Amino acid sequence: MLEGLKEWKGALIVIGILLLLTPLFAWAADLVGYAEPLENAAEELGAMEHETAIISGILPDYTIPGANPYASAIVAGIVGCVIVLVIGILVGKALAR
Amino acid sequence: MHIPDGFLDLWICALMYVISAVVIGYSAVKLKGTLESKQVPLIGVVAAGIFAAQMLNWPIPGGTSAHLVGGAIAGILLGPYAGCLSMASVLTIQCLVFGDGGITALGANIFNMGIVDVFVGYAVFRALRNFNQDAATFLAGWLGIWLAAVACGIEIGVSSIFKYEIETTVPIMGFYHGILGIVEGIITMLVIRYIALRQPDIIYAAKEVVA
Repeated sequence: MLEGLKEWKGALIVIGILLLLTPLFAWAADLVGYAEPLENAAEELGAMEHETAIISGILPDYTIPGANPYASAIVAGIVGCVIVLVIGILVGKALAR
Repeated sequence: MHIPDGFLDLWICALMYVISAVVIGYSAVKLKGTLESKQVPLIGVVAAGIFAAQMLNWPIPGGTSAHLVGGAIAGILLGPYAGCLSMASVLTIQCLVFGDGGITALGANIFNMGIVDVFVGYAVFRALRNFNQDAATFLAGWLGIWLAAVACGIEIGVSSIFKYEIETTVPIMGFYHGILGIVEGIITMLVIRYIALRQPDIIYAAKEVVA
């Protein structure tokens, strides 16, 4: 299934580099108090307290529970990239000529 | 821009699920039997690239920040239908495995980032690419994310948790993403420019004949 990926080695290396940068960006985002516009709108209208998570996932918030959040972000990134890579290929195969 | 559980009223959750399911189904029907062998791994590679890029939160001082969404990149590289499926797979895994975006809001999140951003990005690029490719890709990235944010603002603005204050939610989402979208536009421009130099044949939206 993965034989067609040889052609995309360069792209996969770039993806690997992005994942290695994840802890740096996460640390810097924590430093500046990262907040998205959706959170700003929720704060403005008092909706933040209604935020829930019916499914937290096995790697909640892109971390391994109990592990260092910055280091585990790399692992979470690898897991996520592999899953969507495989799903994308399977979808492509199912719809191919 | 991933909407969590608890923000949207049930009816809007259901409506967005239905709309997204219809568009995803239509995209699959349109693609069935049309993908060339080279496009098969590309759908997965683009999905993985967007997943990785979305993990990088831009550390912008001042309280309001964002990360790349990448819908326009997916639309330009894969076309709107494969781009939509690629983004939908990313958003679904983010929700189920990482708890990013609520399961009740998954339909809305796919609509905003996997449909609006992808189809608008693709359409803007197609309309402007012969005028200036860099301008086309920048505007595709910027307008795609801005309209996705406005759609998000409408969805939360018609929900009771946000006190039906659509006149507040839409301007907040539109204003901030209008500014942050400049970064999305620049990244979209640079990514497509690089790929156009290295492997122009893989850019679906640049092809003359589009199915």
